[in-house]
Amino acid sequence: MSQKMKGLKCKECERLYPLQAIHVCEFCFGPLEVDYNYDFIKRSLTHGKIESGPHTLWRYWDLLPVETDNVISIHEGMTPLFHAKRLGKELGLSNLFIKNDAVNPTYSFKDRVVSVALSRARELGFDTVACASTGNLAGAVAAYGAAAGFRTFVFMPADLESGKVIGAGIYDPVIVGVHGNYDEVNRLCAEVADMYKWAFVNVNLRPYYSEGSKTLAFEVAEQLGWRAPDHCVVPAASGSLLTKIHKGFKELEGIGLIPKHKTKMSIAQADGCSPVVTAIREKTDILRPVRPKTIAKSLAIGNPADGPYAARIVHETHGGADTATDAEIIDGIRLLARTEGIFTETAGGVTTAVLKKLARTGIISSDELVVAYITGNGFKTIEAVAGRTSPMNEISPKLEEFRELYERVTAVPPRP
Amino acid sequence: MKKRVHLVFRTDLVQKPLTWEMSKKFDIIFNVRRAKITEKTGESVLELEGDEPTLDAAIAWLKSQGVHVDPVTHDTMEG
Repeated sequence: MSQKMKGLKCKECERLYPLQAIHVCEFCFGPLEVDYNYDFIKRSLTHGKIESGPHTLWRYWDLLPVETDNVISIHEGMTPLFHAKRLGKELGLSNLFIKNDAVNPTYSFKDRVVSVALSRARELGFDTVACASTGNLAGAVAAYGAAAGFRTFVFMPADLESGKVIGAGIYDPVIVGVHGNYDEVNRLCAEVADMYKWAFVNVNLRPYYSEGSKTLAFEVAEQLGWRAPDHCVVPAASGSLLTKIHKGFKELEGIGLIPKHKTKMSIAQADGCSPVVTAIREKTDILRPVRPKTIAKSLAIGNPADGPYAARIVHETHGGADTATDAEIIDGIRLLARTEGIFTETAGGVTTAVLKKLARTGIISSDELVVAYITGNGFKTIEAVAGRTSPMNEISPKLEEFRELYERVTAVPPRP
Repeated sequence: MKKRVHLVFRTDLVQKPLTWEMSKKFDIIFNVRRAKITEKTGESVLELEGDEPTLDAAIAWLKSQGVHVDPVTHDTMEG
């Protein structure tokens, strides 16, 4: 029996459940969340203990939902946090930091949640893991499934781009390509998750899986010298990432590892899939599901499970909420690359574009310590920026031709 | 069999007794576990009990009326 975890608790009615592979409250059908014994954790967890831990997210083991040290890791987490001076100058933000989570083992933040989910899956005795995904999650589950020796099933829409199929397929999972529209694929996967006794990472393991995102708060706090930022800008699909980053800072404060804070949580969604931002703007906590239509596929969740909770946190912390059109997403990707040398996927384009809007409208003030979360790597969605990057200047192998080219390109003023 | 569903009602549907109507049209037992209503939107979380073809027909009817129906797990597909 775990001492650090009390059990699972319903986020709606607060009923308690044992630490099993369940995710829905039997009474009110609300979502379950891990309930920790913070008094116990507080007794032994110190800055020194964390700092002497592994250089992965598992240095925060005490605040993660596993019971043993036998975790599944391929060196995820402890990604760079850096002062983005050039982007900050362009946006009028003197204290802008980028958390670059695009450099995880499978190049997205999903490695965090999957590392935690599969570690818990092994503790619970599963031999098969599964997910339904259009990209990042598929790659992460396939990679961690391979590293841990699980039988792995990955469900995808059958018409997914070949790059994404290969990105998961290289790890040798069973890939199921489902013919059908978005709703049909979703419904099938919900039925499969109900019927087969597998560890379906974002369904029956969701209470454990989602906790991995807290490490994006823990690392930022540690990298800032044990303090919370003034403001965070977080992209949202299911809404889980934003709620867990907020929870992470609250946990550190609660157990005395960072001072009291009033971090504002701002949310970034794509214009073509923004049920959470719409609910915030309409001041309602009931989300109206939408049919996603955006190039930011990794944020395309039309009926987000944690959307209402994310909306509530944005409201309570006085954060902002905004969206980015497809054109603004591409501009956001290019802006981050041009100023900071970071090539992000479309979700990062959404974050950067919304960061720019929030700075322009004064929702983020110029001197706030703001952290923008970049959650995935640009090489995953290269098609999104095809034709929008520097062109190749072709020449013959003659010095004269290069001289002409040089004079032409240097006639353009250098970048500021 | 039983199915757990999450229903979302648009503004123009909020005042219509669609769940009652469903139970009159189809041989279904519905059990409300959670519900919320605002001026703009309504949502309810139900357990529906009946034989499978009747459940499927009842859910299809709700959708035809403009109600958004999803399993309680919401979207299972992630990026």
